[in-house]
Amino acid sequence: MDFLAEAPYLAAVVPLGLAVFLFLFGRLLGKASAWVAMLGPLTVLLAGVACAVVVLGGEASAAPAPYVGGMVSSATWDWMVQGTMVITIGYAVDGLSALMLLVVGTVALMVMVFSVGYMADDPGFARYFTLLSLFTASMTGLVIANSLAGIFVAWELVGVCSYLLSGFWYRKPSAANAAMKAFLVTRVGDVGFLLGIAVLWQATGSLDLAEMTAAASGVAAGTIAVASALLFMGAAGKSAQFPLHIWLPDAMEGPTPVSALIHAATMVAAGVFLVARVWPLFEASPGVLQLILVVGVFTAVMAGTAATAQNDIKRVLAYSTISQLGFMFAALGLGAWEIAMFHLTTHAAFKALLFLGSGSVIHGTGTQDMREMGGLFKKMPITAVTWIVGAAALAGIPGLAGFFSKDEILAAGYHEQLWVVVLLWAASLFTAFYITRATMLTFFGRPRGDQHAHESGPTMTIPLVILATLAASAGYLATVVAELLGEEAHALEPPVAIVSATVAIVGVAAAVLFYRSGLKADDRLAGALDPVWRAWEHAYWFDGFVQRVVVRPTVVFATVLYEVVDRFVIDGIVEGTGTASRWFGRGMNAIENGDVQWYAALIGGGVIALLAVSYLIVMQDQLADTISNLGLW
Amino acid sequence: MSVSEVSFWILATMCLGGALVVVVTRGMMRMTLGLGAFLLGVAGFFLYYGSPFLAVAQVFVYVGGVLVLILLAIMVLKRDDTGRPQLTSRVDIATALVPIIVFVFMNQALSPVGEELGVVLGSSDSVEDMRMALLGTMLPQFELVGVLLLVALVAAVAIVVRKERS
Amino acid sequence: MSIVTLTSLLFSIGLFGVLTRRDLIAVLASVEIMLGAANIQLIAFAAARGEYGSGQSLALIVLVIAAAEAAVGLALLVALARRSGRTQVEELMEVEG
Repeated sequence: MDFLAEAPYLAAVVPLGLAVFLFLFGRLLGKASAWVAMLGPLTVLLAGVACAVVVLGGEASAAPAPYVGGMVSSATWDWMVQGTMVITIGYAVDGLSALMLLVVGTVALMVMVFSVGYMADDPGFARYFTLLSLFTASMTGLVIANSLAGIFVAWELVGVCSYLLSGFWYRKPSAANAAMKAFLVTRVGDVGFLLGIAVLWQATGSLDLAEMTAAASGVAAGTIAVASALLFMGAAGKSAQFPLHIWLPDAMEGPTPVSALIHAATMVAAGVFLVARVWPLFEASPGVLQLILVVGVFTAVMAGTAATAQNDIKRVLAYSTISQLGFMFAALGLGAWEIAMFHLTTHAAFKALLFLGSGSVIHGTGTQDMREMGGLFKKMPITAVTWIVGAAALAGIPGLAGFFSKDEILAAGYHEQLWVVVLLWAASLFTAFYITRATMLTFFGRPRGDQHAHESGPTMTIPLVILATLAASAGYLATVVAELLGEEAHALEPPVAIVSATVAIVGVAAAVLFYRSGLKADDRLAGALDPVWRAWEHAYWFDGFVQRVVVRPTVVFATVLYEVVDRFVIDGIVEGTGTASRWFGRGMNAIENGDVQWYAALIGGGVIALLAVSYLIVMQDQLADTISNLGLW
Repeated sequence: MSVSEVSFWILATMCLGGALVVVVTRGMMRMTLGLGAFLLGVAGFFLYYGSPFLAVAQVFVYVGGVLVLILLAIMVLKRDDTGRPQLTSRVDIATALVPIIVFVFMNQALSPVGEELGVVLGSSDSVEDMRMALLGTMLPQFELVGVLLLVALVAAVAIVVRKERS
Repeated sequence: MSIVTLTSLLFSIGLFGVLTRRDLIAVLASVEIMLGAANIQLIAFAAARGEYGSGQSLALIVLVIAAAEAAVGLALLVALARRSGRTQVEELMEVEG
């Protein structure tokens, strides 16, 4: 396993090779392709472990900023060379990369195992695992890349994988549209990312992270602020932060394990990872950090409330993810990037668990609508218990993963800006409430709907159990994570922790009491909170707002461009070229009439033209001089 | 008006009149007579500019040769209608612009030189000069022209008799 | 009227004939006019410069070439007339590529 620490690029190369292999032979392999594909995340996980061991053992060499925790291994190659312009590509594995390798490897492996059962009857089985392998390779490439060029390439690759997997059931129009929407909305952010890269390249002359960071200290603060704001734009798009969050709930059209892997644990966390990766740039731009803080807190509260009124179990989790990512960005905004990474890690564990749990429920009942569930605890005991562990972790019940990481964020805010803490407590209250509501509606109360729900098979329950174990215990790894990131671990902040725990317990208790009566509680709440509840249900109608303010004007503008500019101006020019040539041809044709005298006249005309030109150039007197000088006179 | 001026104008009128007749007239015989007048006018100008030998050659070769040749062709073809110059058609009026503009250009370009050309009477040893030139500096051209003339005559015969042989 | 204007005028008249006459014999005659005009000019310049030798020799060469041209042209004309019975320029339009 040591060789994986020396050659961590294998973590990206192996899944990529497997993706190619499965692309070519997946259909022949059939069901076996799943087990072949698992070699990919297994490699990633082992590489993560090997690298983490090196970092924790203190054997890593010193690493320049922005690398943290020591350098395990790195290499750089020239990629594009144009004169003096060189774009390099390569990898560099430090503590942060090692942590991400662990997260990606673990979740990807669990998701793949789970998918064997979940996708068993799907005709696209081999294609599914091909794409998962490709995603694993891309995500690994993203976390080990040592230049912004490499990160951007991987960034777009995971975007493509997200597109392909969200729209996996591409015959379903809603899935195809959702995939398109996700792609386009994240593209808005990616434009900012690309511009940010351009600004940095212009300012520092390098895309290599270490060289860039070193050169950035000599760059004007304003330039760095612009660049980091643009990078944040890309991060916000990928991590579904307001106002670019609208794609994530729709992306739930994909298979549920995909949601667990891409839209909960890894890809959507890439934005957080990106900010942490180039942290020195953000650290130098307090204004941008404040912007990130505001966006993060706003998103956390907005999505947390929206999640409360959803009826689709996956949409609850989608808004929950947006909200939790808001927490992470709030941590980044507070300057506590290592806490954001810690929350990313715990969130990956419990949110992947919750998504896979919802997948198990959907698999067992055949529906995603919580109003048609209820009373599943007895029919699906393993799913129910693991789900409750994940829900408790998300809610922030003391002792479980979410409590620790969320508490650290709140503690950081407590020291910096108090309003942040208050708003995040509100978001936490909603978090505890909505996840408990989902639990109550799904697993408790009277069964609604007439499905014959059943517990899922071992390939699905085993990953649930493993992830539940992680969700319960990951909080105690704070010291390890901090050490990997080369930072001090934060001790619990008693006053904050007590309030947080109270908030969580109150939220859970309220939801439990409320939803003992099942769906009636929804009606009562909807009645009591009328306009607000409907706003939550429609996520503040932001989608419709975007539709009206951005999409429709764009479509109208594009239509005008097409109907007026394209049809008349462009086509006119293009067709005019042809018409003019035809006319010119006809004119020329009239000259070629076979009359030799006409030809002679044309020759005479040519002579005149030449004379006229020479006459104009030389002028009369000079022409006379020229003739004299010839010696005639 | 001096004698030389009078003779210049007589010759000029002869040349211009003959040329215009050639270009404009409809009748074949009248055209030939016009050409004859023009060619004699040219011979007169040769004399006027002191080249009596060339003047004689001009009369022999053109008036006695080419003109007779054209008359012969007309007689052989038994035709006396040359067809009107197509001055009525719009294309031909446009075509007429070409010579007009050529005239303007030539006149404009050469007149500064021409104004300085006075009337010069020929020198008596001009033939001697020409002999020296033709057999001296211009010998290659002279020989070439001889060959050309031979080729032209053979070609003329060949073109005309080809039909009978095939 | 200077000699230069006269020869220019004669040359242009000849050119006009070449471009507009429909009968090939007339076209040939017009060519002769152009050549004659050029010859007058040559001799006039030769006389003015006092270099009779080269000027007259050049004029003689032009004269000979004109004669050769007339001979070949008339031969062609006769051949053409034998073929179609006409000597109009239109007969040459068959050469149109």
